[in-house]
Amino acid sequence: MLHRSLLAGAVMCLLAGCDLIEFSPNETRTPEAFRNLTQKNLERLQAQPNPTGGDTLRFVFTGDSQRFYSEAEDFVKSVNQQRNIAFVVLAGDVSDFGLVRELRWVHDKLQHLRMPYLTVVGNHDLVANGSGAYQQVYGPLNYTFTYAGTKFVMVDTNGREYGFNGRVPDVGWVQRELREPAPDVKRQIVMSHVAPMSEDFDPKLVDSYVQTLGAAPRLAFELNGHNHDFSIGKPFDNDVTFINSYSFEKRQYVVLTVWGEKEFKLEKVQF
Amino acid sequence: MRSLFLLPLLAALLPAPARAAHLGAAVPDTTAAAAPAADEPAAPLGLVAQPWYRPHHVLVQAAGGQGMVAAGVGYTTLRGKLEVDVLAGYVPKKYSITPMGVFTGKATFSPFALDLGETKWQVRPLSVGMFVTHTASNGMVESRDEKYYKGYYWWSARTRIGGFVGGRVARVIGSNRFGQPRTVAAYYELGTNDLYLTSAMTNLGGLPLHDILTLGFGVKLDL
Repeated sequence: MLHRSLLAGAVMCLLAGCDLIEFSPNETRTPEAFRNLTQKNLERLQAQPNPTGGDTLRFVFTGDSQRFYSEAEDFVKSVNQQRNIAFVVLAGDVSDFGLVRELRWVHDKLQHLRMPYLTVVGNHDLVANGSGAYQQVYGPLNYTFTYAGTKFVMVDTNGREYGFNGRVPDVGWVQRELREPAPDVKRQIVMSHVAPMSEDFDPKLVDSYVQTLGAAPRLAFELNGHNHDFSIGKPFDNDVTFINSYSFEKRQYVVLTVWGEKEFKLEKVQF
Repeated sequence: MRSLFLLPLLAALLPAPARAAHLGAAVPDTTAAAAPAADEPAAPLGLVAQPWYRPHHVLVQAAGGQGMVAAGVGYTTLRGKLEVDVLAGYVPKKYSITPMGVFTGKATFSPFALDLGETKWQVRPLSVGMFVTHTASNGMVESRDEKYYKGYYWWSARTRIGGFVGGRVARVIGSNRFGQPRTVAAYYELGTNDLYLTSAMTNLGGLPLHDILTLGFGVKLDL
């Protein structure tokens, strides 16, 4: 009977953890394949030798993948043709509406990258239950990793999203992570979504954050997203370089090659 | 909250003549037009005078973006072709930041019934419908508060509008207090919502249709 097959289908679907079964678009529930991706990607990264070898690290820098799924496909094709890329960093706004399904749609595309990718949380990722969804799918909002002598400090700077509560970014945490680099750390890179020049950065924390970056012993530059357009400069008088990423929408990304303490080369790639 | 305001609206959607037409075929006795004695059980005519707040059926649903489980009441009109339901759903904290209450108002139009001859089964193979949900939760960050300039986040984090196609199978299980056949029905809804649809429409070819679909199913029991 029709109703029996319907019921059987529904039961099968439930048992198999059917993706169609959705309690709410704002739920944070997601299959295991889409959980703890930061940790999984870091494990993958640590297991792979540095493709350039030696002192040099080469990686792709982009941002704001939000709701640009067709572009994401082409982005993956383009990056996979680049040589000696260790990993990809995505400077926040992975999603547009802060929904768990959007993070999965992005991962569906980016999982076809030949190399691991790492993200930092953006303001759009924090809307509704987005904070829970991001933490479920990717992991902590603040984290660090070291690869090829380079320490990356990934920090949530979306102050406006928290009503400028004076606690985001966690400047004390950034300070501790940058202050005394381990002997194997030749250079430091900070990445966040909102740059301290932005009016969406907590105004109470701009000075202490910028001073913290300026005091870091081996900071190569800070990477940001949010603006959907490329820029590079030293907007504060402490010699810290800020680089802003294109969004996926602009069909361009940046390849960064770093060596020495603060030496770097920047290439823009269209796709 | 919002769904409560829908109730009077639903009442307005169900004018007495429509309900009378729905039941009229079962009123052969013209004397029934006379007012029944107060202590007699209400004749079919009583249904005509049934107050708007007395729903025609109760329903329980799972998923479909309307809660892990949801329960509600509804009305049937246009000879069973149109159903209008309100539901209150629940998503436990385990699947969210804080527990979510999901309040839904929806209308389902099922224009065709299969001719199954003499049987207790009724099949309406195709339904189309629309729903509006409002999510109540302490954990959710608003998209339309004072933090950003007006229109920065153009969508509401709490209100979703969606549509679906589906179908239903019902079986007669006796009769109600007016002697009308009472049915219990199983239905399903394959749907999507405004934000998923926006994502698909702005990525033609980039986001497959099945990625934006949701499935809900439930049971309706006539009162």
